[in-house]
Amino acid sequence: MMGIEMEDGGVQVRSRLKEILTAVAGAREPQVRATARTIIREPFARQTWSELAFLSIGALFAVFGIAFVVITLFAGVVLAITFFGLGIIALSVRGARGFGGFHRQLARSYLGEDIEDPDEFTPRPGFLGWLQSTLRDRTGWRAMAYVGLKVPLALLGILAGFAFWWDAFFCLTFPVWGGSGSSPAVYGLPQVLFGTNFWSGGHSGFLYEVGVFLAGVVFFFAAPWAVRATVYLDRRVLRVLLSPDPVALRVRSLERARAQTVDSSAATLRRIERDLHDGTQAQLVALAMRLGMAKEKLAEYEELAGPAAPDPDRTRQLDHVRQLVDDAHRGAKEAIIELRDLARGIHPPALDTGLEGALATLAARNTIPTQLTISLVGRPTPAIEAIAYFCVAELLANVAQHADAARASITCAQHGRWLRLVVRDDGVGGARPSSLGSSSSGLTGLTDRVRAVDGRFDIVSPLRGPTVVTVDLPLHA
Amino acid sequence: MTTPIRVVIAEDSAILRDGLVQLLLDRGFVITDAVSEPDALRSSVERDCPDVAIVDIRMPPSFTDEGLRAAIELRRVHAGLGILMFSQYIETRYAAELLADDAAGIGYLLKDRVADVSDFVDAIERVASGGTALDPEVVTQLLGASRRTDSISVLSSREREVLSLMAEGRSNVAIASELVISAGAVERHVTNIFMKFDLPVSQSDHRRILAVLRFLDS
Repeated sequence: MMGIEMEDGGVQVRSRLKEILTAVAGAREPQVRATARTIIREPFARQTWSELAFLSIGALFAVFGIAFVVITLFAGVVLAITFFGLGIIALSVRGARGFGGFHRQLARSYLGEDIEDPDEFTPRPGFLGWLQSTLRDRTGWRAMAYVGLKVPLALLGILAGFAFWWDAFFCLTFPVWGGSGSSPAVYGLPQVLFGTNFWSGGHSGFLYEVGVFLAGVVFFFAAPWAVRATVYLDRRVLRVLLSPDPVALRVRSLERARAQTVDSSAATLRRIERDLHDGTQAQLVALAMRLGMAKEKLAEYEELAGPAAPDPDRTRQLDHVRQLVDDAHRGAKEAIIELRDLARGIHPPALDTGLEGALATLAARNTIPTQLTISLVGRPTPAIEAIAYFCVAELLANVAQHADAARASITCAQHGRWLRLVVRDDGVGGARPSSLGSSSSGLTGLTDRVRAVDGRFDIVSPLRGPTVVTVDLPLHA
Repeated sequence: MTTPIRVVIAEDSAILRDGLVQLLLDRGFVITDAVSEPDALRSSVERDCPDVAIVDIRMPPSFTDEGLRAAIELRRVHAGLGILMFSQYIETRYAAELLADDAAGIGYLLKDRVADVSDFVDAIERVASGGTALDPEVVTQLLGASRRTDSISVLSSREREVLSLMAEGRSNVAIASELVISAGAVERHVTNIFMKFDLPVSQSDHRRILAVLRFLDS
């Protein structure tokens, strides 16, 4: 056609056009080739089959997941009027978190999705603590949302992905079985698009068979992209719902900053205590020692002089000097004691070798027989140890002063990532948080410190006792 | 005093170390060495075989209980060495650890006690001669700790007082003047304590220590 038009147009135009066409084709050629290569390779690519595996396994677990969530949530809501229902709902959230983790793992191994794991679930100690932590677990609720959304996603995946593959298989094999007249049940996309009689509509002939076969080829090469499209949707939802919660991430970064602050202030306190110990306290002790020596020398001198020199003026002066030295000596000793108490309040030296020994010393020092039970696997951070120590010290002082108790007990145990301190006494009870503490600021300051690291402070003290104070602290601030 | 007591001092604060050296020299002790850390103490004891080691509990490198560790180790190797632990604080746990094997020739004093020179010198002499010298504060704490147990409850309150003074390392005469009772009465209380604790009659010096140990263990 082109040749006819160009006939009288001359060779120049013709060759020019050819140049342009070659140039366009040449420029396009690598791109076209690449696309063609992609299309041809895709049905055999590894990614295609892992996506299909992701769809199939995911769909299977979508069924289990939704069944679990629906049953537990339903039971929980029905029983919500009783306390039991809350527990079941919590169980549902906890289970959803597990399903979420499974789907995340699936996406990671089959889709290569690099989704960060959310923070591990770390419930507070005790059943109530567990319940509260679970019901407030955003990761769990988000995972539950995914479990819900996974159902339509899986349906879509099966419809689009599997239909294409099935049709490809069906059409490609049509020439083999098509002539026999019997057609198997077909539930593919063409069925949906062209009606039930598409295959058995009485068409026949070689061209028709070729047509169906060619359609099969198209389906075959389109199938990976259909799967990819639904998986792409799933990926988007996955990334939003199964990745770490943005709020949780923010909280975590704030927690980290707080932990640094708390730890560095604990380290500062320890350094101050050490400076006091090595500097001021040592100097005071040396001073008191020298004054003690001076005092004894003075006494020796008086003995040596004896009554042989009864100069009243000298005696008076000597008395005065002795008085001054005595006062200075006493003052230095008092200063040592005060400084020691101060330093102990800043950082108890007993903590240097761990909470266990420090609490043992506290229990031993208490005026009421006090039993200590301690089971720790590792060591909490110094800041937490200090808070725990001061809590126990303050509570024991309180028991000794107000409780009129015959015995007390301290329990210190590790629950996962929590440290639980329980101080119990068999005294008169009736303690209120505001009335606790040997000084007005003592326990109030402590509850503040406990709360500052996300800990909890709980007092049960009915009239006539017994009083039980529970302090929960994280192992790491 | 026939032969002077030979003392090694391990204290990381220079000012206190120098002060101690000055005080003890003045009181006629022989200072074999004055060191500032546990390793130097070990080699010094090895070399000079002193009678008593005065050891600060908190020493380098970690400033927790290095001194105590070194002292316990030294006791194991040099049986006759008297140890006087010297600390800014009293920790029941340290006392219990120190006295776990044998209370003979062991002392544990607050650093403050050095201000009362004569008492301090007495304590060193007691430790050198195989006695004990526990800070009253240690005794108070241990008494508090042992209140809950039964073995101590067989004692009358007066006997308990006598025992805690014995734990400090006081002699009968010293106890008598402290409690303002006669030496004979103290003797009677001590015998009662021995009886109630079921301690053998022989080696009466050793019995005192056993009684104290029983008291501390309880």
